[in-house]
Amino acid sequence: MNILQLLRHISVKHLRHQKARSLMALIGIALGVAAMVSIDIVNMSVLRSFEDNINRITGRAVLQVTDAESGFPEAMLDVVQKVPGVEYAVPVIETNGCLAWGDERAFAVLGVDVLQDGNIRDYSITDESSDIPDPLLFLARPDSILLTREMAAREHIAIDQQIKVQTVQGTRTFTVRGLLEPDGPAKALGGDIAVMDLYAAQLAFGKEGRIDRIDVSILRGESLDTMKERIQAALPEGYNIDTPAGRSRQMENLMGRFRKSMDMIGYLALFVGMYLIYNTVAISVVQRGREIGILRALGATRRQVSGLFLGETVVLSLAASLLGIGLGIILAKISITAVARTVSSMYGRSSITDLTIIPLHLAKDIAIGVAASVIAAFFPSRSSSRISPISAIRSTPYSSDALRRHRGLTIASLAFIGIAGAILLVYKTAAHASPLRSSSMTIAAMLSLLLGISLSTPLFLRRFISMFHRLFAGRLGAGGRLAGLNLEKNLTRNAVAVAAVFFSISLSVSSSSLLFSVQKGLMDYIDDVERSDVLITSGHPLASAGAQTIPMPLEMALEIEAIPGVDAADPFRKLFITISGRRVLLEAIDIPRWLKRNTVKVVKGMQGDVGTMMPGKDVISVSESVASRYGLKPGDHFTLPTPQGPVRFLVISVVVSFASDSGVIFIDYQTFRRIWQDHNADMFSVYVRPGNDVIDVRDAIRELYKDKRKMFVLDSREFRAEIKKLLDQSFEMNNAVNLLTLAIAGFGIIITLLASVFERTREIGILRSIGMKRGQVSGLVLIESALLGLAGGLLGTFAGVLTGWINLEGFFRLDFGDSISYQVHYLSICWALLLAVGLAVLAGLYPARRAAKTNITEALSYE
Amino acid sequence: MIQLKNASKSYMQGAREVHALRNVSLNIGKGEFLSVMGASGSGKSTLLNLIGGLDQPSGGEIFMDGKPLHGISDDELTLIRRRRVGFIFQFFNLLPVLTAAENVSLPLLLEGTPFSQIQPKAVDLLKKMGLEERVDHRPEQLSGGEMQRVAIARALVTNPAVLLADEPTGNLDSHTSEEIFMLLKSLHEQGQTIVMVTHDPRAAAYGSRIVTLKDGAISEDITTGGLEA
Repeated sequence: MNILQLLRHISVKHLRHQKARSLMALIGIALGVAAMVSIDIVNMSVLRSFEDNINRITGRAVLQVTDAESGFPEAMLDVVQKVPGVEYAVPVIETNGCLAWGDERAFAVLGVDVLQDGNIRDYSITDESSDIPDPLLFLARPDSILLTREMAAREHIAIDQQIKVQTVQGTRTFTVRGLLEPDGPAKALGGDIAVMDLYAAQLAFGKEGRIDRIDVSILRGESLDTMKERIQAALPEGYNIDTPAGRSRQMENLMGRFRKSMDMIGYLALFVGMYLIYNTVAISVVQRGREIGILRALGATRRQVSGLFLGETVVLSLAASLLGIGLGIILAKISITAVARTVSSMYGRSSITDLTIIPLHLAKDIAIGVAASVIAAFFPSRSSSRISPISAIRSTPYSSDALRRHRGLTIASLAFIGIAGAILLVYKTAAHASPLRSSSMTIAAMLSLLLGISLSTPLFLRRFISMFHRLFAGRLGAGGRLAGLNLEKNLTRNAVAVAAVFFSISLSVSSSSLLFSVQKGLMDYIDDVERSDVLITSGHPLASAGAQTIPMPLEMALEIEAIPGVDAADPFRKLFITISGRRVLLEAIDIPRWLKRNTVKVVKGMQGDVGTMMPGKDVISVSESVASRYGLKPGDHFTLPTPQGPVRFLVISVVVSFASDSGVIFIDYQTFRRIWQDHNADMFSVYVRPGNDVIDVRDAIRELYKDKRKMFVLDSREFRAEIKKLLDQSFEMNNAVNLLTLAIAGFGIIITLLASVFERTREIGILRSIGMKRGQVSGLVLIESALLGLAGGLLGTFAGVLTGWINLEGFFRLDFGDSISYQVHYLSICWALLLAVGLAVLAGLYPARRAAKTNITEALSYE
Repeated sequence: MIQLKNASKSYMQGAREVHALRNVSLNIGKGEFLSVMGASGSGKSTLLNLIGGLDQPSGGEIFMDGKPLHGISDDELTLIRRRRVGFIFQFFNLLPVLTAAENVSLPLLLEGTPFSQIQPKAVDLLKKMGLEERVDHRPEQLSGGEMQRVAIARALVTNPAVLLADEPTGNLDSHTSEEIFMLLKSLHEQGQTIVMVTHDPRAAAYGSRIVTLKDGAISEDITTGGLEA
């Protein structure tokens, strides 16, 4: 009889017979695969959305010239146009605007040269103003704007209607001259896009004489690389010449950390699912010991027996993976909005309308689901083949799994923990710029540690139970004594259920401690360096440059300072510059004004130098991550790309900053204005004179700009609350996956306890026959369940505290520097322990009910 | 002491209704050693289960010391089993995870009595059973006869009103069976009420009264006075 026949004749019947257990293993793997699939779809959708937007807005351009985000002199256009081989070179302003009414919908503004842009982009305008024969030509009138048909319909805007739009200059009125059909750039960003004349856009968005980008198409026969080199040579140093695909890649790199952490969470969810498969197969092997014996006695080979169990696993996991694909798509649909919101506020506008589902990725996820299940089923399957015909036929349904394998497990466990320690040691001692100091190292250490600890679960459980016997069992009566003994009887199987709980609790503790550390680090930092009473920001207070911000003109400081009660309004400008292919945040601060009321946390260098040496001079301070990435220390020189070409700056100090995970370079605002010729601000720190009410001042500012511009005016308390909210938001996906792993762990407990109850049918019958009440029987199962949960919770807490620290090292300290200290969140540990026990008890309810309902006479005749 | 009035028990086996016991009326007096005989499927074990409160009759009434065993809640029935009945099974039915002393103590542990208080009594009972060397042994370390003696000690630990034995030697060799019967007989001589189910006429002869069942009804009820030791 071959495996397929065995499967058809035996396994299908078992799967059908053990519906509950098969179903739970199926759900476990399905949830693991679903987590992986949904994360993959969400990641791909976000990336595709960025890529699609870039491609649509780019049109036929094959190269793009960019500089800092504040733009560069439009004179560069002439330079590029004259480069031999360039077909067309057109200027572009790409910025943000938002409607000044309704829900203040934000949109991208494309400022283009109306005469030339048709060479690069196609605009299809069907509705147009009756007196405008050529809408693009008409755009030369500075109040003209083209909207997409989609946006016009959504906002109920008609042709010739005047609309109010927030710009750098405040609220401006524009006239809608035409509607763009959903094609070309008009289809980008879900239609949230407007086209203006370049000159009008420069005026409205404070970019007089500057442009953001030059889009270039090249003559036939010219190679991209040659053209890139020619344009690079023609322009001053510091300009970036890249393909649209290169820009997409940049976005991909920017989101790399976000994606990596999401992917890891998906794999971890699947890992928990593997525990479930291991348990299901292990239980199946024990319960079918007699059947295996009979098969062996009848001539089945060891290979056939283990093949039978592996075959069942393949069938089950294949069905589970397919189910997981469906579930994953549903999960992705549910979570995409939340993720898109986080991505938009952290990295830049994204409009995810459709889910990007790549069949090859789905096939890969199915393969991973099946492979993970087969790996998990391998060991119990192998043990099935070792059952001898005689012992199986004679054996009772119990399996008292001796501790013979535990020595091997202990050695393996210690080895993995040792490897984790070694990796961390290498990581910590490696130089900052070394490739060994990467998040991949800490991920490897974390996985090795988790694997090591999970292998130690049987040992831990045995110790835990013996402690329970010594300290508590007596107080819980017969149920207490029996519960511990029962758990000890099937130590390995119970240890697997504990491991599943341990795993999900460790994720939960790790992520809450991480969040708490980042929150506390950020809040302490803000308390230290940001002492303003009211903050005015043009975009979300935590948004990086590139997100939906509309800068404000510097002159606003004067208007704000004129408000009664305002002592000062200090400007900040934040924009990204690209240094050796990596983006770094340039933060311009009016140093003398800033230092009057605030401090800078200097890690290296003299505290006093910041105030004395930076103002007005070509001097910068850098954050810890920039210092370590580029090997900088006080006294070094560092060249930055500027609109004036590369400029050499003196590094005066290394300071603490959590402003961006890309690293921060601080420059005095006056120096910035001089070199960048940029007179905008992204934020004003407002200080209220003593004796004046902060709330009154805040309201007065809001009132002043109510109809003029969209901005966040927050008092310091609101500002901190907003930051907390955004941080919480960025951990939303983590929380969702934590819940998923907890659910999988819960199924693990149900399977284990159900099997245990099933195996102990006769025992339960005996207990009932000699006077154990139904309630006592359920109590017994619930105590076992709670013990499993508590053991998993304790181990998970221990592991979570460690992995939280490793994660902080590998992600946040790498990005924000060593100043962020690790904080264990004790409250969430209490919650996690309660959750572990609560989840276990909840999972134990059904098995407990089943146990209590045991029919005594049937149970006593049961073998 | 135990009274059955027209007790009957039927259950469904697939689509077929099986009448395991048909209108059985029986009085078992205090201190009696009743042997219940009959062929396989005659209803012996069903009768024992009903007397022991392991099961409820489909019809009729059952009383123990004048108190009904029928129509009461599961918890009430459980307490009767725990406090008034001692069971001895063919397959011993000891809990494999517990030691001999713990197995003996189990009914009192269920009552909530601390193990430290029960232990001396359990050890004493095991001594009486000749198992003083086996107090801390688990079932798997005991022979069949030893296991059954542990089971008898467990049945006695609550000083039950009645001892119910279902084929107590069905799984033992003849020599060990003899020892167990002698033990039961001596318990009977000390005034213990015993109801024993067996299909072996030699075993039944240890009882002071033999009731024979056939097709779920009593076919014969004779008083013998029991075998002399």
